[in-house]
Amino acid sequence: MWKLTLKNLKARKLRLAMTALAVVLGVGFVAGTFVLTDTMNASFDSLFSDVNEGLDVIVRSESEFESQLGGSRQPVSESLIETIRDVDGVEAAAGNIQGYAQFVTDDGEAVTTGGAPTLGGAWYDEPQGSLVIREGEAPVGPGEVLVDAATADKHGFELGDTVTVITQIGPREFEVSGIAGFGEADNLGGATLATFDLPTSQELFNKPGQVDSIDIAAEDGVTAEELRRRIQRVLPDGVEAADAQEVAAEISNAIKEALGFFNTALLAFAGISLFVGAFLIFNTFSITVAQRTREFALLRALGASGGQVTGAVFLEALVIGLVASAAGILAGFGIALVLQVMLEAFGIELPSQDLVFLPRTGIVAAVLGISVTLVSAIAPARRAAKISPMAAMREMAPKVSGFSTRRTIAGLLVTLAGTGILFGGLYGDIGEPAQLVGAGAFVTFLGVAILAPLFSGQLANLIGYPLQVLRMPGKLARRNAARNPKRTAATAAALMIGLALVGLVSILGSSIKSSTSRILDESLEADFTVATGGFAPSFISPQVAADIASLPEVELTAPVRLGQFRRDGNNTFVVGIDPVSLEAVTDIDVTDGSLASLGDGEVLVHGDVAEELGIEVGDSLGMEFASAGERDLEITGLFDNKSLVQADYLLAIPTYETYFPEKVDLQVFVKVEEGVALADAREAIDGVLEGYPALELQDQTETKESQAEQVNQLLGMVSAMLGLALVIALFGITNTLALSVFERTRELGLLRAVGMSRRQTRRMIRWEAVIISIIGAVLGLAIGLFFGWALVKSLESEGISELTIPYGQLVAYVGAAAVAGVLAAMPPARRASRLNVLEAISTE
Amino acid sequence: MSLQSTDSAAPGSVQDLLSRAAVVAVDLVKIYGEGEAAVRALDGVSLVVPKGTFTAIMGPSGSGKSTLLQCVAALDDLTSGKVFVGGVEISGLDEKERTRLRRDKVGFIFQAFNLVPTLNALENITLPMDLAKKSPDKKWMEYLISTVGLGDRLHHLPGELSGGQQQRVAAARALASRPEIVFADEPTGNLDSRRGHELLDFLRRTVDEFGQTIVMVTHDPFAASIADRVVFLADGRVVEEMLDPKVDQILDLIKNLES
Repeated sequence: MWKLTLKNLKARKLRLAMTALAVVLGVGFVAGTFVLTDTMNASFDSLFSDVNEGLDVIVRSESEFESQLGGSRQPVSESLIETIRDVDGVEAAAGNIQGYAQFVTDDGEAVTTGGAPTLGGAWYDEPQGSLVIREGEAPVGPGEVLVDAATADKHGFELGDTVTVITQIGPREFEVSGIAGFGEADNLGGATLATFDLPTSQELFNKPGQVDSIDIAAEDGVTAEELRRRIQRVLPDGVEAADAQEVAAEISNAIKEALGFFNTALLAFAGISLFVGAFLIFNTFSITVAQRTREFALLRALGASGGQVTGAVFLEALVIGLVASAAGILAGFGIALVLQVMLEAFGIELPSQDLVFLPRTGIVAAVLGISVTLVSAIAPARRAAKISPMAAMREMAPKVSGFSTRRTIAGLLVTLAGTGILFGGLYGDIGEPAQLVGAGAFVTFLGVAILAPLFSGQLANLIGYPLQVLRMPGKLARRNAARNPKRTAATAAALMIGLALVGLVSILGSSIKSSTSRILDESLEADFTVATGGFAPSFISPQVAADIASLPEVELTAPVRLGQFRRDGNNTFVVGIDPVSLEAVTDIDVTDGSLASLGDGEVLVHGDVAEELGIEVGDSLGMEFASAGERDLEITGLFDNKSLVQADYLLAIPTYETYFPEKVDLQVFVKVEEGVALADAREAIDGVLEGYPALELQDQTETKESQAEQVNQLLGMVSAMLGLALVIALFGITNTLALSVFERTRELGLLRAVGMSRRQTRRMIRWEAVIISIIGAVLGLAIGLFFGWALVKSLESEGISELTIPYGQLVAYVGAAAVAGVLAAMPPARRASRLNVLEAISTE
Repeated sequence: MSLQSTDSAAPGSVQDLLSRAAVVAVDLVKIYGEGEAAVRALDGVSLVVPKGTFTAIMGPSGSGKSTLLQCVAALDDLTSGKVFVGGVEISGLDEKERTRLRRDKVGFIFQAFNLVPTLNALENITLPMDLAKKSPDKKWMEYLISTVGLGDRLHHLPGELSGGQQQRVAAARALASRPEIVFADEPTGNLDSRRGHELLDFLRRTVDEFGQTIVMVTHDPFAASIADRVVFLADGRVVEEMLDPKVDQILDLIKNLES
């Protein structure tokens, strides 16, 4: 059997290559994601252990947990530095400060990173850390800044240049005193860094007499741990001495965790590609088993057992799985590089680091690739075993029908189970919702794929109906697409998955867009919004809100701040607002209590959350803050519309500032004085914003547009990632048609003999592909519509109240699928039209 | 090269001869392979098939009879020689012109697998005309359909028809566009003798009643006896011709040729 398998594999190289390609792409994506993740982790580990090189102990205030928004620690008093210097064994100690600082380029654009933070910090000579001045000198005095080498290089900042840096107190000009790097690296994981002397930092980051941390080096012969213990003894309550390497690991882990979302997303896309690939493999094996009916029957007639025939098919699958997985793992390196380039396009630059290949990558990728191939081959292999020896004598394979009661029942059950799991994930309280939704979608796809042969023939006839205007080639294309419902269904199913997801994404996207647009229409009474452009995490100096408010054209400004606290072990968003001005710019629909009276130590809670927690006005709510620990706040009101504030908990700004050291705004709403023309107001506000190139002034229309733009960008990214699954599905169409052309050689020869031209032949194959593509698209979009509806409904409480179906876009997808079908049909159509008529007729 | 008919040629000229014959083949040579392994499948065959006649081609296997048919029908290339179908030289036609020739001027009946499985009987019959985007001659179609004798099975798929019915549909398909000539390659090879006779009767009637030209390759003496003329091939050459053949004459000739 082994020999036979190898011979079979050799004999059909092209088909094998096509089948294997699906596995290679899927496995490659998985391996690539792992390689990239491991590489990133390794580079961050080495980077951050370098960052605190030369430091032994770091003193900082205690924190209950790490907020993802930063700013979880209160600063400590500057006077502690002297106290620490007196501790026996301290070689050097210096204060450090961190905060938001954004460079402005020569042409007035704010420098953005697209992901990494824009940081400011304080310079010190001793102890010697990892930040090393490469050119020039340390910054001294209020007018000098030290720039990281990457930023300097990218934007052409040179020694002695004057650059503008925006911090929370507004823009200011500095002279470049020096350019620095982190050891070999030009920057820290893509972040920009502006370094000042300590007094300047304290002023810029609004921390007079304070520092965020104190960096300490030990004298020779004193261990870090020993020194840490000695220092801890002199520290006041709420301040801790930590091992510098542990702090490095902490930061590294926090960044890795933040990027973990990205890795999970990539792995999900890789999984989708593999799933689609599985359909391709299943279909190829099914078709070839059917085509080899006579061969298998002959084997049976010669005495091979059913098990041996199954074994032969499995062996083929195993070899394909092995070879393709190996190729996929190699391809993974290439894919990792491509992903890395994509990351860099988003501004996440990794320090130079060789690609990391852990054994885990190879094992997981190979196990996945081989098992997907084997599982896909189970049904075809079992079918091969059932071929009776008599089939060898028969002239033609028995007619294939898609219908069977068993299939109907099984398909319905699986589909129902899938949608059940899906809804469980969307509405239930069990397990991980995202994983349940994913599993539900997966099972639903399987169910529909099982059901599809029941109606794919009729669907092909329906979709192919208009093709009759193309006369004979169109008619034959339609009949061919309908003649083997199972094959058509399995081929279309691969495309269905991709299009269902693309359709879902676009429905979700337009629903989000229309919902936010409606919310803004209904509840935004502000004339303008000041926002930071794009994805980059920039902040707005509180000075902006104050300066705009002081304009005669402006009635008031309502700043919004964002923070995280912890409840029941979950990080939760909280928003800091000014009650009076917020009330003027939006209606948050207060159902109990009042917004205007929100005072210190009080909190407003969203009605749904209050109901869920069983709390009401007058109760006290335990909130755990990173900098202050557990505090009880009194609930003084409930609100129902969180569409604008985007959080379930509201604090007045004074309360917010008690618990959050960062004093920056996320967004500022502006209401213009009555009777002032918007254009005039705009001109005045633009005057204030001149020094803040990172900020955008948007009127209501522009606010909507910018929200839509952000959604569009995200959708674009997701759709691009789904592209791979679609490409694999198209390979599937090419593969199926190539096999069908092979199978119909005699028929094609006959058609050519009685006068079908090459062009007509190509047209016939092409339109068959178009019909299959459209079946896939229509099924996929139907499922996508259903998923979209379910998902949007479940997000109603998140403010996505409107289900918008982008019909035009969905129709365009069907059109695109048809065009893709034409492309997929090109190789088989070409082959069919080039068949030697005489040989084709005489083929057995 | 034009596919126009040349009916207006002067009497007695070469053009005149060509136009009165359905097929004229001159000194056909077909060599498969090269060098030592070369096989001369056709070794200087010349043949004239007058319009409205039924010609059978016989010969032992390997005599070149199928090759002759394929070359004359523009399915295969010649090594040398010239073939005229309906007065038009076909050697040297490109793929497009050959396709058009097969579609418009030639009808085919093969031994098996004559019908497209996804098309019903009627659709199979009109297939060449549909491919040519021509509408069939109604009266002719009615005649063909009634002669095929499918009755209510006309809208059945080939898989639902018997072997005899399938071959009669194939014959009707070959005749539907009233081609210059019909080539039949062992059309009765897969049929029992009764069905075979029915098919042969059908072919004979189209020659007698409508002046159809047919060239049929067969190894069955009975089938050949239906023809107006039998051409015997051996080793790629025409070795004998017989007009108004009878079965026993054919059998005798075969015996003589073999010995």
